[in-house]
Amino acid sequence: MGVMDQIELPTPIKYVFNWGRKYSLWCFNFGLACCAIEFIAASAARHDFIRHGVIPFAHGPRQADLLVVSGTLTDKMAPAVKRLYEQMPEPKYVISFGSCANCGGPYWDSYSVTKGVDQVIPVDVYVPGCPPRPEALLESIMRLQDLIQGESLKERMERRRRDPITLAAAGVPERESTT
Amino acid sequence: MSGVLARRDRALTPEETEELLRDRLGEAAVVGSVVEYGVFTLRIAQEHWLEAARRCRDEPLLAYDLFDNLFAVDMREEGFDVVTVLYSTSTGNRLVLRTRCAGGREAPTCPSISDVYRGANWMERETWDMFGIEFEGHPGLAPRILTVENFEGWPLRKDFHLVSRGVKPWPGVKEPAELDEDGNVIERVPRIGDAPGPYELDKVIAEQAKLANPVPEPVTAEGGNVEELAQDADLASDSGQVLTSADEQAAEEAEAQASDVAADVAGAQAQDLEQTAKDKAEQRRREQAEARRRKAEERAADADDAGAAPDQEGNA
Ligand code: SF4
Repeated sequence: MGVMDQIELPTPIKYVFNWGRKYSLWCFNFGLACCAIEFIAASAARHDFIRHGVIPFAHGPRQADLLVVSGTLTDKMAPAVKRLYEQMPEPKYVISFGSCANCGGPYWDSYSVTKGVDQVIPVDVYVPGCPPRPEALLESIMRLQDLIQGESLKERMERRRRDPITLAAAGVPERESTT
Repeated sequence: MSGVLARRDRALTPEETEELLRDRLGEAAVVGSVVEYGVFTLRIAQEHWLEAARRCRDEPLLAYDLFDNLFAVDMREEGFDVVTVLYSTSTGNRLVLRTRCAGGREAPTCPSISDVYRGANWMERETWDMFGIEFEGHPGLAPRILTVENFEGWPLRKDFHLVSRGVKPWPGVKEPAELDEDGNVIERVPRIGDAPGPYELDKVIAEQAKLANPVPEPVTAEGGNVEELAQDADLASDSGQVLTSADEQAAEEAEAQASDVAADVAGAQAQDLEQTAKDKAEQRRREQAEARRRKAEERAADADDAGAAPDQEGNA
């Protein structure tokens, strides 16, 4: 990333820079269970999140900006998620899609299910539901874009270095009602 | 192994299969048999487990050449059962072999049939992973393949305790709808700890959870309000009673007001509902006024002593 995370960009440049970033999110789908089907539905013709600038099915984590963890994360799988997340280049964003990825969902008392992907990697946007509808994924993508538009890369990276697991107080800006 | 004798139209019946295996393995080898849900199950003595599997595969009349499945069943106090499902591609028969593990609950062991059916290898590893059954003669059960490598305990055993439930027991009740003698559904708010597991430890934990999460007292802000209102109504009606002895007309009014409050207390429906409900409330009001008047006459003497009648009239 060079100097982008070292210096605070002047506001107009930052605006254009972030505007460019938010509409070219290469998305890496970590489909683990039923929720992955909803993700695929969101990427297919009817909901089609390419029109939001999200390009699905990146060739691998090294080409991706956005990780969508959709499905039930087991303790056995957790190291793999962490490893692939670490392979992604900064700046990287994570959407936790579905109750299972948020908190363990219906398997809250299971012996094998990780109680939320945020125990392993930092999460930017949580999407509740079992499974959430594709529209919910679109909403979460738009929220993430708002977050990207409003953020300062320097601050984000500083926060990341201080506290690699939680995105403390990152906060997704409130969207105005779209009705 | 021969496919010559085993044919779909010459498949052995369950009785014949059992007889054949008893003949080959000895009477003691087959402990029992049952046909359930269209599946023929043979119970095999533990010592003959490996030999029975071998016979099933190699006996030309049986020819169970396809290994389908292998798993275990927790039989509680009796220990564990290992079950394997075999299929014959030539006769189309399906056979279930079942054996009780030696060693009870503490150290269950079972001979491995991975020499006979290579597919049994990972099935036995999984069974060991979930139940902790040692398969003797298996080339290597460890490392664990379903759970994480450092997992402790055997999760599919009935006495395996789910750690999350130690913190927050299952929040539901066992039966979603319970019926009383007349067949009406008993409405029951599910409480934490209502449905403990089958073992003593579960019950203890459920009890502790009940203690830690007591049922909230029914007295809410609203409840307090109701009580206050009731007291007010009492006061008001008392004052009304005082007046009955003094002035009949004023007492009527006071009573009516007092019982208005009382009606509020008795239920919001008197306020909320339409004319019919109002009529009912009127009726009840009158009854209550009657009752109060009688009570007031008894207390009239005391009230006179207090001498606060005029003030209370103002209040009422
Ligand atoms: S949240 Fe529901 S739909 Fe999604 S993976 Fe979990 S169980 Fe499946």
